[in-house]
Amino acid sequence: MSKGLKAEKEKCTGCQLCMLVCSGTHVSKFNPSESRINVEDKFPEPGEFKLNYCLQCDEHPCVESCPVEAIVFDEGLGIYVVDKEKCTACGACVEACPYEGCWLDPSGTYSIKCDLCGGTPQCVEICPKGVLKR
Amino acid sequence: MADGYTGKVLRVDLTSEKIATEPINREWAKRFIGGKGLGARYLFEELKPGVDPLSSDNVLMIWTGPLVGTMVPLTSRYVVITKSPQTGTFLDSYAGGYFGPELKYAGFDGVIIKGKASKPVYLWIKDGKPEIRDAKNLWGKDNFKTEALIRKETGESHARVASTGPAGEKLSLIAGVTSDLTRNAGRGGGGAVFGSKNLKAIACRGTMGVEVPNIDEFVKMSKEMLLKDVVENPDHAGSITDGTPIIVDMSQNAAILPTRDWSSGEFEGSAEINSDAIKTRVLVRRKACMGCGLACGSWSKARKGMFKGASTEGPEYETIGLSGSNCGIKSIEAIIKFAEECDKLGLDTMSAGSVTAFAMDLYERKILTKKDTGGLDLKFGNEEAFAKMPAMIASREHIGDALADGSKRAARKIGKGAEKLVIESKGSEYPAYDPRGSIGMALAYATSDRGADHNRAWPVAQDAYGSGDPWNPDGKAAICVEDNTRTSVKWSFIFCDFYAVSFKNMAKYYTAVTGAPADEESLRSIGKRVWNLTRAFNAREGFTRKDDNLPERMEKEPLQSGKTKGKAVPRADFEKMLSEYYKLWNWDDQGRPTKQTLQEAGLGDIVGKLPYLK
Ligand code: SF4
Ligand code: SF4
Repeated sequence: MSKGLKAEKEKCTGCQLCMLVCSGTHVSKFNPSESRINVEDKFPEPGEFKLNYCLQCDEHPCVESCPVEAIVFDEGLGIYVVDKEKCTACGACVEACPYEGCWLDPSGTYSIKCDLCGGTPQCVEICPKGVLKR
Repeated sequence: MADGYTGKVLRVDLTSEKIATEPINREWAKRFIGGKGLGARYLFEELKPGVDPLSSDNVLMIWTGPLVGTMVPLTSRYVVITKSPQTGTFLDSYAGGYFGPELKYAGFDGVIIKGKASKPVYLWIKDGKPEIRDAKNLWGKDNFKTEALIRKETGESHARVASTGPAGEKLSLIAGVTSDLTRNAGRGGGGAVFGSKNLKAIACRGTMGVEVPNIDEFVKMSKEMLLKDVVENPDHAGSITDGTPIIVDMSQNAAILPTRDWSSGEFEGSAEINSDAIKTRVLVRRKACMGCGLACGSWSKARKGMFKGASTEGPEYETIGLSGSNCGIKSIEAIIKFAEECDKLGLDTMSAGSVTAFAMDLYERKILTKKDTGGLDLKFGNEEAFAKMPAMIASREHIGDALADGSKRAARKIGKGAEKLVIESKGSEYPAYDPRGSIGMALAYATSDRGADHNRAWPVAQDAYGSGDPWNPDGKAAICVEDNTRTSVKWSFIFCDFYAVSFKNMAKYYTAVTGAPADEESLRSIGKRVWNLTRAFNAREGFTRKDDNLPERMEKEPLQSGKTKGKAVPRADFEKMLSEYYKLWNWDDQGRPTKQTLQEAGLGDIVGKLPYLK
């Protein structure tokens, strides 16, 4: 069973509060492009929201793809997280992930990937429509 | 400085192609916050009085506010500020969606545009770096294609775009500014000002974020407020379950739903165009603006019939009232098609619906014929003809040429008694609340700073939709004054209309974001300052009491059925409300702020710039 976030995307309204709170808590400013979850508005067609975030998938090809072993297992959370210090922003994980689960931060210095806020994901707490679950 | 503002304003001269970044006027930001107030102060300073709004001398601005782009709920808005080509007044027209926050993430609180480009251009802003780009390939394209093309050309799939459609290019005075496909700064003709400057769009992409003091506390407060003051606030129940279409039934019950060009307040087809019709027939999903926990919007799609496949966000109450019942249209699908066309072509759905209803009325009265309509049988309720009207208006073909300038100018051009039938104030078509069943709305429309409007004062909430007496003129002026004050503050932050936010909580947000103290009293004085400023702007342009008008039909043509049977707006009551309103604001008998009033409102610095005070 994967340990990542789960989403019922049909309920999503595109408010991006998840992105605002994620950036607010991770990088101390409101900056959706630095959020670990990304909600894309796809209108007029297909007329839906696409939610991108790390699923913590069982295969985790991102881990194997990383040439400097920057994606490390967090024993406490039981998930793979990016070690910002080790990451060289080569983008191999971004290529490897089949789910658009990680990406480089806008300044291109490290790979962004959901870390479940250390156990209490802020996006899950804030989502006003109950889209996100841990 | 982490205080919500980016601290920067972008200044563009399209004639000389000069672009400069300058610091925001901090003193004005303290006195006017942002949005409406700050924009009004800049416009008052930078626009010469008497300028033709479609000339290169007009100033076009986009403003945000200190909370825009933060986590504070329902503040993701921007405002287009300019001199309105439709009304000749101050114009502030707002849109939600994602564009406002993106402009701030791209580094700017506001953009000030002057001059006129020699050929079509658009303004591209990426992370603090502005650029004027060629828009040859965009000219003539609809708003949806424009967004897609700009994203392709810049390689930024997340770029946000505020553009004018073909209607604005053709200088239609009812052309708005469209962003995020379906979000419109619709009213007042801002799209025509874009067009007159050869400016197709302002597009931006920002990854710089917005900073606030004490972010951890700020996040905590925002989360609490989102839950307690937004999601669980009983005043927001209707916005969560239905959005504005919930008002259709309320207006129908109060018999103030504009029907067949204001000839009735009840529409026999209201059940085909109300919120239930949307929910059961066309709703795809609910849609929010950035940072909003309500999601009042509905993404809707026509699933069958002649308009199968048409989609829009909404339609909203104003669109339903003015282009639905007012055109005798009994099909929510037809209204969706009309709204989709308006969004693509860049027409304000309110005015486009109103002028279509007006043209239908003239057609039924045989003032217009098939010769004028390009062969369309423009009877009330003819869905096929109705759906073709936005294209006819935007392209200025046939009668569309006259209608593109709004119903007041169209009536003058058409003549044959059409002038007496128009429902407008200062040239702006009435919103969808018939004052004959809520006479305070006649005052609200007449005294709105941008021409007939429901977002400056909304007394109908307290009578036709509440328990007050809709026909007693007493107390209506006081309601309008209070609403003017409150909305002036809300539109300066910029909060969404649907946030029933108290002065106390606005003060709390203000302090959280700027670090400066605020309370109800300090915000009220800002509200009064802003409302006096826009009134002074209009007075400087020559507006006086006679312009705070009541359309003749509201006075002389009583409604025929239901709760409003036999009701009109007596002229004497209207004048009484108006005099009382001026008195409450301490304005002169022409409705102009006096020297003393301006000084008390903290506007002493503009007194010397008002010829009527000399
Ligand atoms: S980033 Fe992608 S590949 Fe890696 S664990 Fe998450 S979902 Fe799997
Ligand atoms: S907070 Fe919830 S509803 Fe809003 S964008 Fe995120 S997942 Fe969607």
